Amino acid sequence: MIAVRSHPQTTTQGRRPRRALSLFVGLITSLGITAGDSPVVADDAAQAAGESAELFERHVRPLLIDHCAECHSAEDLQEGELALDASAGLKEGGSRGPLFVAGKPDESLLLRVLRYEDEDLQMPPSGKLDDAPIARVEEWIRSGAVVPEYGAGTIRKEDEIDFAAAREFWSFQPLDPQPAPIVEGDDWSREPIDRFVFQRLAEEQLTPSPEASRPTLIRRATFDLIGLPPTPDEIERFVSDESPDAYERLIDRLLASPHYGERWARHWLDVARYTDQTPEWLSSTDRAWLYRDWVARALNEDLPYDRFVTLQLAADMTGDAQPEDLAALGFLGLSPTYWKELKLAPDVIMTVVAEEWDERVDAVSRSFLGLTVSCARCHDHKFDPVSMEDYYALAGVFASTQLTDQPLLPSAEADVVRTARKQVADLEAQLAKIEDKESEAAKTITAQIESIQRETPHYDAPWVHAVEEASLYVLPDGTDATRLETRPNEPRDLPLFRRGNPSNPGEVVPRRFLEVLAASDAHAFKEGSGRLELAESILSDAQPLAARVIVNRVWRHHFGRGIVSTPSNFGTQGSRPTHPELLDDLAARFVAAGWSLKWLHREIMLSAAYRQSSAHRSDAGDIDPDNHLLWRMNRRRLEIEPWRDAMLATAGNLDERLGGPSSSLADAANVRRTLYGTIGRQEMDDMLRLYDFPQPDAHSPGREPTTTPLQQLFVLNSDFLYRQSETLLSRLETDFPDASDEEKINACYRLLFGRPAGQEETQLALKFLAAGGADPREQWRAYVHSLYGLNEFLFVD
Amino acid sequence: MKTSCDSSPLFDSASLISRRRMVNSLGGGFGALGLAGLLGDTAQADAGRAAHFQPRAKRIIHLFMNGGPFQGDLFDPKPLTAKYAGQRPDAVNLRTERPTAGLLPSPYKFTNSGESGVPVSELLPRFAQVIDDVCVLRSVYTDNPNHGPALLLMNNGTIIPTRPSMGSWLSYGLGTENQDLPGYVVLCPGRPVRFSILWTSAFLPGEHQGTYINHSQIAPDKLIPYLHSDQSASDLQVRQLELMRRLDRAHQEQRGGDPQLEARIRAMETAFRMQSSATEAFDISAEPESVREAYGNTHFSNGCLLARRLAERDVRFIQVYYGNGQPWDTHNDHSKQVVPLCEDVDRAMSALLVDLKQRGLLDDTLVVWGGEFGRTPTSENGDGRDHNHYGFSMWMAGGGVKGGMTYGETDDFGFRAVQDRVHIHDLHATILHLMGLDHERLTYRYAGRDFRLTDVEGRVIKEILA
Repeated sequence: MIAVRSHPQTTTQGRRPRRALSLFVGLITSLGITAGDSPVVADDAAQAAGESAELFERHVRPLLIDHCAECHSAEDLQEGELALDASAGLKEGGSRGPLFVAGKPDESLLLRVLRYEDEDLQMPPSGKLDDAPIARVEEWIRSGAVVPEYGAGTIRKEDEIDFAAAREFWSFQPLDPQPAPIVEGDDWSREPIDRFVFQRLAEEQLTPSPEASRPTLIRRATFDLIGLPPTPDEIERFVSDESPDAYERLIDRLLASPHYGERWARHWLDVARYTDQTPEWLSSTDRAWLYRDWVARALNEDLPYDRFVTLQLAADMTGDAQPEDLAALGFLGLSPTYWKELKLAPDVIMTVVAEEWDERVDAVSRSFLGLTVSCARCHDHKFDPVSMEDYYALAGVFASTQLTDQPLLPSAEADVVRTARKQVADLEAQLAKIEDKESEAAKTITAQIESIQRETPHYDAPWVHAVEEASLYVLPDGTDATRLETRPNEPRDLPLFRRGNPSNPGEVVPRRFLEVLAASDAHAFKEGSGRLELAESILSDAQPLAARVIVNRVWRHHFGRGIVSTPSNFGTQGSRPTHPELLDDLAARFVAAGWSLKWLHREIMLSAAYRQSSAHRSDAGDIDPDNHLLWRMNRRRLEIEPWRDAMLATAGNLDERLGGPSSSLADAANVRRTLYGTIGRQEMDDMLRLYDFPQPDAHSPGREPTTTPLQQLFVLNSDFLYRQSETLLSRLETDFPDASDEEKINACYRLLFGRPAGQEETQLALKFLAAGGADPREQWRAYVHSLYGLNEFLFVD
Repeated sequence: MKTSCDSSPLFDSASLISRRRMVNSLGGGFGALGLAGLLGDTAQADAGRAAHFQPRAKRIIHLFMNGGPFQGDLFDPKPLTAKYAGQRPDAVNLRTERPTAGLLPSPYKFTNSGESGVPVSELLPRFAQVIDDVCVLRSVYTDNPNHGPALLLMNNGTIIPTRPSMGSWLSYGLGTENQDLPGYVVLCPGRPVRFSILWTSAFLPGEHQGTYINHSQIAPDKLIPYLHSDQSASDLQVRQLELMRRLDRAHQEQRGGDPQLEARIRAMETAFRMQSSATEAFDISAEPESVREAYGNTHFSNGCLLARRLAERDVRFIQVYYGNGQPWDTHNDHSKQVVPLCEDVDRAMSALLVDLKQRGLLDDTLVVWGGEFGRTPTSENGDGRDHNHYGFSMWMAGGGVKGGMTYGETDDFGFRAVQDRVHIHDLHATILHLMGLDHERLTYRYAGRDFRLTDVEGRVIKEILA
């Protein structure tokens, strides 16, 4: 534990002398103590103090009570943390500092405010007071600003956070794995997960649902793990596989598929607010996809989650990361940035910079810890044990970290390439100034450029969006403008910004981890910006929370809802776990299993709970309508990515190549997986926008599925669906040249829904095909199109 | 999955709310199937879908002069600028985006217009005729002199680009009254700076985001994505719809009447209807020639006319951006640019007010006009004007606002709002108030705290309420 938390009443520079003076004068008046070395001086001082006190009592105090105390009262410090109905409050001042400087009216905030001198702080708000009473206040300040005691003796400041008590909250507690309960009559459970689930069901007199059918299971598992539908062959093999480990082998096969990384990378990219496009004011590398591909590869290789986190926060600092792992820094390197108009004053620009730091604090704390730390930017967190000091301790880490472009090379080689690229850029600038490109001078420069490019090893190595160790300062440039200064390898601690206002800095807060989570022997970060220490703290000091958060995210994607239904808020305003013991057990075993996400998928998917049917049962539905206790599987709607990919796959159109640059989804000829569609912060693809794709300008805790008619217009009228139905029809014609309509209808059902067509469905289809006009092929296309629009294609039982 | 409104302390409130939302959405139309409790971080606060008190306005048309018009040319005459022309009295030593020179008086004459005698510039002769229905706010100010942040503040109540827009708040708070059209439509013949962030629903459910429509091509099927195809409303599509309905119904029945399946079946039916209802709503060629003539034939004319057609159909919030980029951003050649701009808006916005009034729509339609900020009374680049966030004019009409009045004053030179100052938060608080919403109670819990359009500020300008 680090004792950096300040006492809230600690004085700041500039306040101390005034307080000393007014205290001093106050003592004289109230106790009659002689302060000078001559009785005459003392008498004069006492007389002056008496006059000042009288001015106060006759004019100033009534004014404060009549015009100010209604809002600024000791009872309720909401407004400016200022109490004017008590002498202690008047002397202490508020969030903007001391109210007056004894003897110096012109330096006294109180007068500026009453005189309406400042545009943004004019009191009372109902209208400026007359000149006469304001003049009395001025007189009183000039006379020494004596404040006789009145009102409450102590002012209630914001409550201190009681960290010891706060650590009792469930999510801050150590993991508490308990043996999975054994309930009499439980012949359902397969895994420890199930025993916890069964116990809760039994407590509510509920029973679990039977296992889903084999076709349902393979469809569910395949979409869950690789985001694609199972092929008819795969279904057939699984359904007819009589070996006892058929299901286990199915899960293992899917986990080994390279498409697993594609599916789960997208879940993580929502969290990481991934974008392909960065603002033009950055020296864009246009290589954001290297981060996306790094995530997919890391997942496919089952990179332990602790390592996954560390590399994303500090791959450049670990010492043992491979050059290609620098791409992991895209988590920070692709952070949103906001335009800084340097013609504006530094205080304006500082607010923009502070927004950027805030975004990083928010993204990191919600992604890895499920905590809304950025709520503590302007005041201590209202609900969670996160202080403003905590906030600025983390913000300092990001104030010491700058976005940069980085070649995927070891640092020595990277430096060579960097230098060479700088030389080329300078030469190109020179070349641009020469009008005659055929001149000798131009030719010489061109030759120089080519030579550098040719002779510098790895000159064309890919560059990624990364971060570097450098701190940012916002400084004045002349009288009106601003300049930004980056200072490499010079980390900085930030002052606390009172009320979140950078123009109102408080004491400096050393960079460090959150106090409520930090180990008792924790200390301020020492290595550079502290990113690596931050990652280590998340994974060691906050290990229980970090493990619970990721286990819950994974759980949520398998069941449609987390054990905690607010995946990025594990604070007091978040939901409580429906199965706390289960969550702790799973999180503890996940850590023990080396933070292996594939282990976690297997553990979840092999459970009887996961394998349940999603069929509705009114007996259970009456007791637990929202299925919080998992008496069945939740029916889930596919996100846009697997839905679109499933159309491409079943139509036989899908380009299965892995990785590489993004391309626009608006292009109807784009048949790559949706993961590879271009994502922008400025403009979102129409289709993604319609289908709940999260705005990538901030961390997304989870998508919010909507059902709108605009989505259905896409189904009815988009080129994409036309193309897929056309392609599927061609596929049917090729694969089943001589088949009857019934056979082709059946083939459609097998491809799209993984089952044969029912009798009634076949009849409806035949009727549809027969009812049309002259063009039977168009009837067929329209029929296939309709099947793609069905709920059965979009929902997974 | 969610079939009962029964609650149990076992379960968090999020899913209860989502059930309620779902019930709402099953009414049809653009309501969404809310599954907030199932997925996501958004336990909604108990707000939304009902006015807090009797509304004065049912819908809003916001005419957005992107770029920032100069108040001194239009609604805020300042004779003293002529006296001090070319000089820089202390009062104009305010920091703006770029350095400006001395005072540049507006050359346009003002006439005390209408029965109310509100001064209106000769640049707006038609608008002077309707001024008795208009309340001019002369003392609006904002926080930032850059376009992006100022646009965000005007639309989203904050410069942070991750908060919901005003239209989303209204949609969330009041829901929609037209099941066949989006409740929040943004019209722009091109793209305003910052684009879709200006109508984002951010953390509010996606159904509340603005539907952006580039109306530079006014054929309805160019306006709404996927509104039409060759098959739209054809017999074949009708049969497709029937086939899907029967197959979806059977699928749903086997699954115990799952409401998320039901919602999508209904959404399909609305979508099918939209092909004609939206086509009809957005088809201004159906307007009589006299009406087309009155509005004019520019993009902004078309925007205003579309806005009226959507208002007639109870679209909740209709925003019309003047043009692509920032057409009112007259850093150079101010006087050359401002004349055609004013001619254009004068005709269309006056026609809009007359038209709304004739149809009895003005009483419950609030029309709001203004830019993201104003411009400086001092000159830039000789005859240009820089951004001015210290004080500028907007106007409001209809929907419970007093007509024929001005509110607030700027200083002697029209630079800084000095009397009855109106911050954007105050403007938003007032607009929400007119729509029957208390800006302090319209909240949404997200990421651990309650958010509001007006953050922790905002005062309803009671003085302008009718």
